[in-house]
Amino acid sequence: MIELVVNGEARRLDLDPDMPLLWALRDHLGLTGTKYGCGIAQCGACTVHLDGAAARACQLRLGDLAGKRITTIEGLHPAGDHKVQRAWVAQQVPQCGFCQSGQIMGAAALLAATPKPSDAEIDAAMAGHLCRCGTYQRVRAAIHAAAQG
Amino acid sequence: MDRRHLLKAAGAALLVPVLAEAQQAPPGSPPGPPPTAIPPGESPNAGPGRVTAFLRIGADGRVTVLTPILEMGQGTHTAHAQIVADELGVPLSAVTVEVAQPEGPFRYTPVNEQYAGASWGVRLIQPRLRRAAAQARAVLVEAAAQRLGVPAGSLTLAEGRITHAASGRSLAVGEVAEAAAALPLPEQPRLQPAAERRLVGQPVPRLDVPAKTRGAAVFGQDVRLPGMLQAVAKLSPAHGAAMAGFDAAPARAVRGVVDVVPLGTRGVAVVATDTWAALKGAEAVVIRVEAALRAAARVVDATYEVPALAHAPLETDNCTVRIQGDAAEAWAPTQHQDWVRAAVAKGAGVAPEKVRVHTTFAGGAFGRRLMVEVAEQAAMVARAVGRPVKLTWPREEEFAQGYYRPAHACRLRAALDAQGKLTGLWFRSAGQSVMGDYRPGFMARGPAILDPFALQAVTDTPYRFGAFRSEWVRTEGPAKSWLWRSVGGSQNAFFLECFLDEVAAATGQDPYALRRALLAHDPRRLRVLQTAAETSGWGTPAPAGRHRGIAFCEIYDSPVAQVAEVSVERGTLRVHRVTVAIDCGEVVNPGQVTAQMEGSVAWGLSAALHEAVTLREGRTEQRNFDAYPILRMEEAPVVETHILTTPGVPVGGVGEPGVPPVAPAVANAIFAATGKRLRSLPLLQHDLRA
Ligand code: FES
Ligand code: FES
Repeated sequence: MIELVVNGEARRLDLDPDMPLLWALRDHLGLTGTKYGCGIAQCGACTVHLDGAAARACQLRLGDLAGKRITTIEGLHPAGDHKVQRAWVAQQVPQCGFCQSGQIMGAAALLAATPKPSDAEIDAAMAGHLCRCGTYQRVRAAIHAAAQG
Repeated sequence: MDRRHLLKAAGAALLVPVLAEAQQAPPGSPPGPPPTAIPPGESPNAGPGRVTAFLRIGADGRVTVLTPILEMGQGTHTAHAQIVADELGVPLSAVTVEVAQPEGPFRYTPVNEQYAGASWGVRLIQPRLRRAAAQARAVLVEAAAQRLGVPAGSLTLAEGRITHAASGRSLAVGEVAEAAAALPLPEQPRLQPAAERRLVGQPVPRLDVPAKTRGAAVFGQDVRLPGMLQAVAKLSPAHGAAMAGFDAAPARAVRGVVDVVPLGTRGVAVVATDTWAALKGAEAVVIRVEAALRAAARVVDATYEVPALAHAPLETDNCTVRIQGDAAEAWAPTQHQDWVRAAVAKGAGVAPEKVRVHTTFAGGAFGRRLMVEVAEQAAMVARAVGRPVKLTWPREEEFAQGYYRPAHACRLRAALDAQGKLTGLWFRSAGQSVMGDYRPGFMARGPAILDPFALQAVTDTPYRFGAFRSEWVRTEGPAKSWLWRSVGGSQNAFFLECFLDEVAAATGQDPYALRRALLAHDPRRLRVLQTAAETSGWGTPAPAGRHRGIAFCEIYDSPVAQVAEVSVERGTLRVHRVTVAIDCGEVVNPGQVTAQMEGSVAWGLSAALHEAVTLREGRTEQRNFDAYPILRMEEAPVVETHILTTPGVPVGGVGEPGVPPVAPAVANAIFAATGKRLRSLPLLQHDLRA
């Protein structure tokens, strides 16, 4: 039995301790906003916050998460109105949208640690987030906009 | 004996792909709009207030647009809502867009199938939606006239209300929708004049964006049904080689694995209580493969070369199927509703009419989601285990199983007069046929059928070369070929536009001036070229260390010109800026056109710089993004888009035409920077140090 806190709620999971958090979230907790894109830490689609820092859910073993605080896209803001989400809407960032939960979680973690990131800091923090639709230019603009507001 | 066919086209008029497709087979424009009236009999799209085949209007005034086109990121659903809201006279907020169950009015002639392709999501659907909305408007007004006992001509419909100005009485559209649905549709409804449009032509925000920033949009992989099991595919790893057998015991030993279901000779699906268990089981299963493998055909004598490419949408392919009695339901992020329906019917052993297809959001498509193999497999598994099942292809299978943009090689030769003017051009390419795998019947009609995609953007180029001959040689290979965003344009623009640059260099001409001369007869295309050149500062000094390259291409009725600005420092290439000019005819949503140009540049640049699928012993060597890198944030250039319109030119394609010019514009800029002529992709395989 693994106990952890997901989006502010205590959860007890009787699952294989080797299971990556990604599948526990998607298949057992119904939190499908966190996406599977590669399973090997290459795409960033599965990004969540682990005790406030960005982490790849496909690489987090449930067995290592006892007592940890996890935030997913669904829990970033109670009304989906985090400043990063607002900037994403204002800049019309998403195309297909599949990478965007991960992009937003990555950007929110970046801004929490670095409130006014430079282009180079954005590149460094977001390099692991692939977008096959090519929304990078707007991701960058939206991060800058969120940093302003 | 190898089956090579030499095909010759004397000139551009003979083989315009879109036209050829329309006349002989897909994917082309139908000759006229199909009926907007609801077909007789039981409709799979039935519902209260279905005023026309394309529109349902609820008693609460909500308007549901039924469309054949999925939302895969291209913004089409928002454009559809804009068109209908304007033509019908309702607020945009009252409109929702839903992908229709496959049915007559949503299918294209002559193939009689419901699907999305060839950048037609707006250009082909717009006339149908306008007509349907205008018809709906007429019958709503007529129903209100009957209710109020006044002549229809004395009523106006705006903002969702039908008003009798003389008496001040009014009705909401929802109040008369059911009555209107019973009225006959006018054959020639009055269309709103352009001056009346409030939404079409405006950069209206996307309807699906808020949900996509909250993790709330439901993609195929997010579908959840009561009692559903998760399955993942493990398929034969070698192209063209059938599974000879498998050992399921190690998979069954994994906690959570429920079953291992064979998928014909393609492989197996491991079914489990969650995806993790299914993935572990799939890893444990041992698949035995037939020994004999065909080798890829080698093409020699090539001047230019491009490799095979994968679509790699970020959401891997999947389908969820529930079978109940003699009926089945499928949830699929698909571009082709009719093929999913047929595939599920086959896999589930039910009649096609008994299958409902729910089209979800797609996490990218790019042509990949015209493949429906996963739908049949999901149905086979659901049938075998007697439970609802979602079958997902893991990323490794997504890369391994083929359906690639086929590799091509191309030789070009130009004839020049004494002044260096181009008097003739010969273009000869070789590669696998996309149509051969996409619609085998089309290519099987005879011994020398031209794949309409093979010379796309070549036979129908607006350039005038003088004498012009284009040829395509069909080769065979073990992996399947498929439509990949911009299809033949993806390789042909690279060949032709780089070669024109070579001609310019060889004759001491400016590459822009050379193209100007080739388009001198065509003011619309010339203006596109000129806009890209002028807005990019062509002819003026570039910022220090930067160099420019230009390219032009037209597919799906939208000419696009691009100027890339690059630097090469100590062998390191950086693409700083790409200026795009597009004339896509009438514009429904300029915000989406801009977004599609940005996405197209990223897509084209990703392929130009990085991407290649290679085979070894019949198997794909790249299984995930570590071995198949795609464009990353730090490599993304600034994209500057200029949208041109030409009065009287209908809506052109937007999703694909921005892709073809990227690779040649960048390669030509590299030549300007280094003097190195790169004749093969991906560009980063070349050493750019001096
Ligand atoms: S799914 Fe975790 S990084 Fe791709
Ligand atoms: S929006 Fe489609 S992958 Fe990023």
